[in-house]
Amino acid sequence: MRLLPVLPVVVPLITAAALAVLTKLLPRAWSALIAIASTIATAAAAALLLRDSLQQPIVYWFGNWKPNGRMALGISFAIDPIGAGLATFAAVLTAAALVFGSKYFDSVENHFHALILCFLGAMCGFSLTGDMFNLFVFFELMSAAAFALCAYKTEDPGALQGALNFAVTNTIGAYFVLTGIGLLYARTGALNMAQMSEALASHPADKLVLVAFAFISCGYLVKAAVVPFHFWLADAHAVAPSPVCVLFSGVMVEMGLYAVARIYWAVFNQTLHADIASLRILVVSIGAATAVLAAIMCFSQRNLKRLLAFSTISHVGLMTIGVGLFTAGGLAGAAIYTLGHGLVKGGLFLAAGMLLHRFSTVDELDLHGRGRSEKWAGFVFFAGAIGLAGLPPSGVSAGDDLIHEAARAIGYHWVRWISFFAAIITSAAVLRAACRVFFGWGPRREEQPGGAPKTQESRETDRSQQRTPMTMIAPAVALVVAGMFLNFTPRLKRIATQSATEFQNSEAYSARVLRAAPKRTPTAPAPAPENPLFGISAFACAALGAACYLFSKSFRSTSRWITRPLSVLHGLHSGHVGDYVAFLTFGIAAFGLVCVLCLR
Amino acid sequence: MTRRIRLKFFLVSAAALALCFFWGYAGLPAFGHGSSIYADIVNAISVPQRHITDAVTAVNFDIRGFDTLGEEFILFTSVLGVILLMRRTKDEPAGDHEDKAPGRKVPPVSDAVRVIALLLLAPTIVFGWYIVVHGQVTPGGGFQGGVILSSAPLLLYLCGSYPKVRGAAAPRLIEIAEALGAAGYIVIGGACVALGGMFLENLLPLGKAGTLTSGGMVPFINLGVGLEVSGGFTLILLVYLEELMEEKES
Repeated sequence: MRLLPVLPVVVPLITAAALAVLTKLLPRAWSALIAIASTIATAAAAALLLRDSLQQPIVYWFGNWKPNGRMALGISFAIDPIGAGLATFAAVLTAAALVFGSKYFDSVENHFHALILCFLGAMCGFSLTGDMFNLFVFFELMSAAAFALCAYKTEDPGALQGALNFAVTNTIGAYFVLTGIGLLYARTGALNMAQMSEALASHPADKLVLVAFAFISCGYLVKAAVVPFHFWLADAHAVAPSPVCVLFSGVMVEMGLYAVARIYWAVFNQTLHADIASLRILVVSIGAATAVLAAIMCFSQRNLKRLLAFSTISHVGLMTIGVGLFTAGGLAGAAIYTLGHGLVKGGLFLAAGMLLHRFSTVDELDLHGRGRSEKWAGFVFFAGAIGLAGLPPSGVSAGDDLIHEAARAIGYHWVRWISFFAAIITSAAVLRAACRVFFGWGPRREEQPGGAPKTQESRETDRSQQRTPMTMIAPAVALVVAGMFLNFTPRLKRIATQSATEFQNSEAYSARVLRAAPKRTPTAPAPAPENPLFGISAFACAALGAACYLFSKSFRSTSRWITRPLSVLHGLHSGHVGDYVAFLTFGIAAFGLVCVLCLR
Repeated sequence: MTRRIRLKFFLVSAAALALCFFWGYAGLPAFGHGSSIYADIVNAISVPQRHITDAVTAVNFDIRGFDTLGEEFILFTSVLGVILLMRRTKDEPAGDHEDKAPGRKVPPVSDAVRVIALLLLAPTIVFGWYIVVHGQVTPGGGFQGGVILSSAPLLLYLCGSYPKVRGAAAPRLIEIAEALGAAGYIVIGGACVALGGMFLENLLPLGKAGTLTSGGMVPFINLGVGLEVSGGFTLILLVYLEELMEEKES
């Protein structure tokens, strides 16, 4: 126990340092193997922490700077099942991405593995830490690795622009996080979350505390890509290499949401608890707007990677609703949703990578009917559409179910309809694309209403494109199948609800961290049995919608009445970083004003 | 959005944001009254408990040493990123990256600059290492000293030429030194566990405060950080020089 909590961070980082030197000396297969082995070791260490933290949450003080009831000076990891689970999940997705990438890039010697490992180490540290500033340090490390990975295909000017938009918006987000931490430090003299929480609890929240809360939350929400901070995500995903997209969509974006939940429950809950109803309205409406807006954008994309990226934003909106309900059920739902969505979406991005490998394009119209030979990619796409619609026993269905239950319990019945809409549209978009690519159904480019200019895509692979190697097929299929059957046991929901209840017990958290108080075991209510009707009807509607779009000319032409608003919406996603920063400023200002004026 | 609309939209939002900043900053302690409990405790314990006379170093490398490990890897990752982004892709032709600004000749480096640069070279290296190893005594340490050290190859470039820098700097060795410096931090942390403590627990003899050997593990960490930082910045310098000053003869 003196070393284990550190391993998920230091194993990938020290391997990255070794690989930065060794890649030039070793054959390519070797550095891929070392990276994969290191990732599996990381996953194992994180899984052990998950197992232990289910018994008893772990508090680890670096340098043995234990507070012993006094002021916390050092840095602590405060490991609970949700954090440890997120770290484990990050390592598992990274392993899949590395296996997929092992025969994918021609220029892997350019530190691809080292950067991925730094990225993983940062995500693990981010999920495990109990220190406000340490969280920010790992946020920065995560960003530094992500920016470089996003721009990996430097020969493509689009890659540089996408990465630049990503870097500019996220760095502004980081600036606001740091400002917020500075304000809180000035008030509390502490950096440990539990210590901050106790210092804040003694006074009612004033404007400084509310502004700090708004700044830190918005900074992390930029990473979570909720409206109106979401613009960078589609640009970054469209240009990043497919295995990197798996990590961006599957776990990095969700990390932003995790951070918001963590800082609320570990730091602000005790002082802001009286305002929870107003906060709930704020965060749930942000999530709902994100889910709806991004679903519409998703259906109107033809670049498969952009389509999947907007689908990610839409699903993150649903997770935001889960977190924003501020109840154990909602958080548990968001946690399971993260797993289910990450697995399915990871598989889908890898399948898109397979198509890019074979055909050097991910444009749906260019691929019309050409995917017939790619049976495995086709399987992943159709399975992914089913998984995203939330057909039981997929992880998404379990998450949906918990979120709906939690929303109903506090009178937010309409959440179900938002979720239904997002599930239908995002699933229909994937189905439509899959039918067009793998069956050759639906209109070709010439018949596409409104004209459809060709898009350019730079290749990611250099090797023989005659066939797709097993190392690409296996991880994609494994991810999507795991996502579809994640909820095979009812224990998952019970454990998640229990962990979320513990996550939200701020007083117990502070006592545990600062005074090593023994864990109180809260009893979570047993989750209700699942209603399969939701997922089935969502998938049926999605299939119907996709079929109408593909086969009915009149449906396509009647759908023109939404062309005008849609083109306005597309115009907003201009790719111009100035626009993005303007929306970012607007979003943070609005969030801040609402916090200061409406809470108190 | 057009330029005008974007500007208006931004200015209105920024005004509202300025209001948030005002509310936040208005709650800060008044000027001169901002003493924090944290700082007071650190000031009180850094010499008696850790034999470190520079309290900032006590925070960065002992009390909150794990943050600094993360910071070191941010630099490490950024250097990898720069190397990745500046690499020459296959389609891009090699060579002939000379300054081609129309109607402007690159002036030769004057002898005065060469002499001064040459004279400064050795003192810079000595001063850099001095700052690296005195982190626990006076303000400084691996980060600051490392940056000073990495200005040595820049001076060499000023008084010689790029091939000379490349020859003297030996990029392979620097890469190894940089990686060793980064890994060293983790190795020291792990060694603390092997000695029976927690990760990064300062278990070495603390020495006499105010001397080079004080601070236990802190000077060792600083040496590693110094290697990493000087190596990292030198690599970035080399990458940029390579891009700009492609050797004609090759």
